[in-house]
Amino acid sequence: MATAVQEITETRAGAHAAAAERVGAPYMNPYLAGIGLGLVLLSAFVVMGRGLGASGAINSTLAWALSKVAPAWVAGNEFLGPYLGDGSTHPLKDWLVFEVMGIYAGALVSGLLAGRFKVMVERGPRISASARLGLAFAGGTMTGIGAAFGRGCTSGQALTGGSLLNLGSWIFMICVFAGAYTAAYFVRRQWR
Amino acid sequence: MARTLRNLTLNQRLGLAAFGLGALALFANPLPGPVVAVDAQEMALLVQREADHVTPQELAAWIVEGRADYRLVDLRSAKEFADYSIPGAQNVPLTDLAQPPFDRSEKLLLYSQDGTHSSQAWLLLRARGYRTAYTLNGGLDAWKNDVLFPTLREDASAEEKAAFQKPAELARYFGGTPRLASAAGATATELPRLTAGAAVAPPPTVGGGPAPRRKKKEGC
Amino acid sequence: MTTPFYKYGFFGDETSLVVAFLIGIGFGFFLERAGFGSSRKLVSQFYLNDLAVFRVMFTAIVTAMLGVTYLGWIGVLDLTLVYMVPTFWVAQIVGGVLLGVGFAVGGYCPGTSPAAVVMGHLDAITYIAGIFAGVFTFALAFPLLRGLYTAGEMGAVRLPEFLHLPYGLVVFGVVLMALAGFWGAGWVEKRFGTAPEAR
Repeated sequence: MATAVQEITETRAGAHAAAAERVGAPYMNPYLAGIGLGLVLLSAFVVMGRGLGASGAINSTLAWALSKVAPAWVAGNEFLGPYLGDGSTHPLKDWLVFEVMGIYAGALVSGLLAGRFKVMVERGPRISASARLGLAFAGGTMTGIGAAFGRGCTSGQALTGGSLLNLGSWIFMICVFAGAYTAAYFVRRQWR
Repeated sequence: MARTLRNLTLNQRLGLAAFGLGALALFANPLPGPVVAVDAQEMALLVQREADHVTPQELAAWIVEGRADYRLVDLRSAKEFADYSIPGAQNVPLTDLAQPPFDRSEKLLLYSQDGTHSSQAWLLLRARGYRTAYTLNGGLDAWKNDVLFPTLREDASAEEKAAFQKPAELARYFGGTPRLASAAGATATELPRLTAGAAVAPPPTVGGGPAPRRKKKEGC
Repeated sequence: MTTPFYKYGFFGDETSLVVAFLIGIGFGFFLERAGFGSSRKLVSQFYLNDLAVFRVMFTAIVTAMLGVTYLGWIGVLDLTLVYMVPTFWVAQIVGGVLLGVGFAVGGYCPGTSPAAVVMGHLDAITYIAGIFAGVFTFALAFPLLRGLYTAGEMGAVRLPEFLHLPYGLVVFGVVLMALAGFWGAGWVEKRFGTAPEAR
């Protein structure tokens, strides 16, 4: 099976075969999905006076987890310290943490409705599962550092800041696309 | 024309709607400008009912009780604030009120030197939707005269002398001194220096504002 | 103006956490609907195969942007009370490029990886582990990185302010850009894409 997959080259036929691997129902019209996302974002603005996010939840979780083993270091760390708060509330009782838990829940509902659940390692036909997992980890590391510098990720900066016409967010968003398109060329063997 | 419209795909209709809404937005002005609207009648009623201010004595009682459900705002300059400020006060010069650093749900108590600026700030903040803003009646001058340096007339009755005990204690608590005035009514024109020094340490239970409201992380 | 409700004291912090969860559900639901729970679909954006990421993102931006513009205009929403992340343009260029690289290499972004995890995609799990490692490394090295982290500080700046253009004009411009992009995306996919990705 593995060799058969490896024999699939970058032809139209091969790509179509890869496309046929998709699990479950077809995806929603991207414009409708975008409108749905936009309305969710708008409701966050109107109800909470803030937008969406994801990387902040990771920072809070990391700060909390590390505080279990090295509380003094975390509290003293200029970057992670503030995520512990002033001690009056649990660091995980954080808006973003709850929002991210909601993301898991909402995605689960949508995915189950569409029958898209399948345990797998998503990758192209020319790379092994373990190599892909390694690259995913590497990509995640770069993402973590990038989100820290940028004060957010695509949800918080691009979507939220973009719709608020935030200058820094637009700068960030353009750079994300630039970096991604450039890097994609060099890792194309991972996906095609 | 009608036929073309009917034959448009969903995506094309969405695109058309987006274009229309975008074009209309050319005239939009979503950010509130510097001009605010005041409900004159409502303001007048509030002032008349004296629901717009808090007396220095009331404030002193709040501080002693350790109440932390309000935010005490000093509208004077930073230098004046450094010289002396009421315990628990936060310095927000009047010029910074164009972008008030407060949530609209917070209870604000504003004071200035004699109450004029705080009354003006009260009106401006109310007009911008801060419905729980109040002024300190008489400002810092009244605080000094009534709380820090309360005066007992020399010819006061025994009853009045007894009643003066509490204000005297309060004065000492805040670092002031009770004064004795001659019957002729010639109160000292110059306020005595505070005995405890310029800044009185606030009681430990009083926070710098509504507690325990730390600055929320609102980023992503 | 009576919104944002939370900033006008309509409800407290405990309730806001429930609100957060509900909003997150909506967010996750539409992310997965759009197919963003799949790294292959996400990265096909960067191979010009399937520009769904662009379509979804910019439709969402335009929708929310028009929403706040109109609600602010009619006075229902106080736009000044909606939190804006301050601009640090140098740090954000660095961060954006790094995050973009991480996106292409890892196949996800922090918001989409949860959608993939619940669909059983194991690569999303290692990706999220990677994010933790990255943030941890950043925190460790923070004393060295502080300068770059705060480089280019400008406070919270809006595009209309920066460009000295009326707010509505910038809004219209963004809508035009998005529409042009959507129209162009179809052409790009036909011209450069190898095949429609799992659609």
